[in-house]
Amino acid sequence: MEFLGEVLAWFTDPVNWSGPDGIPVRVGEHLVLSFVPLLAAAALALPIGLYTGHTGRLAGLAINAANVGRAIPTLGILIIAWILLLRPLVDLGLRREAAEVTAGIAMLALAIPPMVTNTYVGIAGVDRGLVDAARGVGMAPLQVLRGVELPLALPVVLAGMRTAAVQVVATATLGAVVGTGGLGRYVIDGIAQLRYQEMFAGAMLVSLLAIATELAFSWLQRRTVSPGLRGAPEAVIGPSQGPC
Amino acid sequence: MRHTRMPALGAVLLALVIGACTPGGSGTASPGTGSAGESSAPGASQEEKPTVRIGSQGFYESQLMAEIYAQALENAGYTVERSLAIGTREQTMPAILDGQIDMIPEYIGSLLRGGLGGQPTGDSDETHHLLMEAAAEEGLSVLDYTPAQDTNAFVVRQETADEFSLTTMSDLAAVATELVWGLPPECETNPLCAGALEDAYGIPFAELEIEPLAACDAPIAEALNSGVVDVAELCSTQPAIEQFNFVVLEDDKATQPAENIAPLVRTEFVEAAPDDFAEVLNAVSAEMTTEDLTRLGVEVAVQQRDIAEVAAAWLEEKGLI
Repeated sequence: MEFLGEVLAWFTDPVNWSGPDGIPVRVGEHLVLSFVPLLAAAALALPIGLYTGHTGRLAGLAINAANVGRAIPTLGILIIAWILLLRPLVDLGLRREAAEVTAGIAMLALAIPPMVTNTYVGIAGVDRGLVDAARGVGMAPLQVLRGVELPLALPVVLAGMRTAAVQVVATATLGAVVGTGGLGRYVIDGIAQLRYQEMFAGAMLVSLLAIATELAFSWLQRRTVSPGLRGAPEAVIGPSQGPC
Repeated sequence: MRHTRMPALGAVLLALVIGACTPGGSGTASPGTGSAGESSAPGASQEEKPTVRIGSQGFYESQLMAEIYAQALENAGYTVERSLAIGTREQTMPAILDGQIDMIPEYIGSLLRGGLGGQPTGDSDETHHLLMEAAAEEGLSVLDYTPAQDTNAFVVRQETADEFSLTTMSDLAAVATELVWGLPPECETNPLCAGALEDAYGIPFAELEIEPLAACDAPIAEALNSGVVDVAELCSTQPAIEQFNFVVLEDDKATQPAENIAPLVRTEFVEAAPDDFAEVLNAVSAEMTTEDLTRLGVEVAVQQRDIAEVAAAWLEEKGLI
């Protein structure tokens, strides 16, 4: 109980709500560290998932490659990226951004697999009869994808993005190991300085942000999914609990 | 400050292991007292040399030093039982206090502070002396220490050292704010880090551009090598220093506690042992420099060479076996 009192005191101390290491700044950094890689991951993963799901081509390759990505611990990817990319980043004049870029790449690797897999599964799982009917009324392949397959697959596609987003928001904490900002700073610095109330508060903030992300995506799903599909299974591959 | 990369896991596993693999777990066996005690003239008969049970901590440098001492003793006719990689000091101190091992290589500053509750200084002789006094109360003896030190050190790239003519920390103070520092997150509150920089060298910690990176680890070494940071806090025998040709700046105000290595031995054992026991170990310690230890660290930790082979090669090179 005493410890929880210290945590509460940490949260209510105005010092922790202002300045470059205050909670608002750290939350902002954490969101940037999470959502820039998520957007980049979506830009890469969705076309792959749509193509493989729509055509059935290269599906095995894409899914297996994505799953190999899942098997590598994010901390490992982070350190490998750090070792391999530092010099190129310095040469590019990105010395100050080296930590953020490296962490972003590790987050990208974390976010892509669920997005590719769910998009593929969603599209490939659309009732063939509907696709044939769409073709039958003269829709072009892209029209079939946009007008039939994607709307029907959207719950599953969004579930993949939700999984990715929650994992990335939780895992972006690791970036602090290579010196990024974000909420991981509270955790890493708290451990290093034996300020466990700060570490605990940081972990709580990460959890709250991950839960908020989850809620935001379920709201988005409700808003964007066709009313006719409500009640359809939300996720073929639901939010899986990877080993971060 | 020591190599604590996998402390918890190693600690738990190895705590189990030592129970299982340390010979004479009853703690009563005191080699030497039975046989050597009779022919008491020390070192008189070489057949009477006791068995030495040598332990080490979990990281490679401690194992390497233990192996070097072990081979030197074997060469002098002793039988050695190795319990290498017992764990962290939390496990090794009880092991030697309970008499499960007879000796272990130790870092004089860390042992004094962490194992015996004393206060090390930047002076090796003084720290060694304080350590001997503190250890004696626990029934332990500390033999001579190595010139080699594995302490926290501030390190720069060769090009930075050349550009600003840096050899000491005092040199660094003049250009401190022009450089990017890789410092561990706890630096700010650590009297040996920010405290030492500010108080001893007058380096304005608050004005430094800092990348928070854990000391003595691979990421910070890579950050220094690639130019993400210009100054980094590393350990003075870290293989990266040799690999990347870094320059260790001399701690000319002696802010860091002395971390020379010395054998910690049970007093009971060393008193019963022949005279050449301490002589053999002291001869080894006298030859081990920081440069040697760093180089051997590269061979063991980077090139993954066998510790026993690396130890033997070094002992031969120094003419110790």
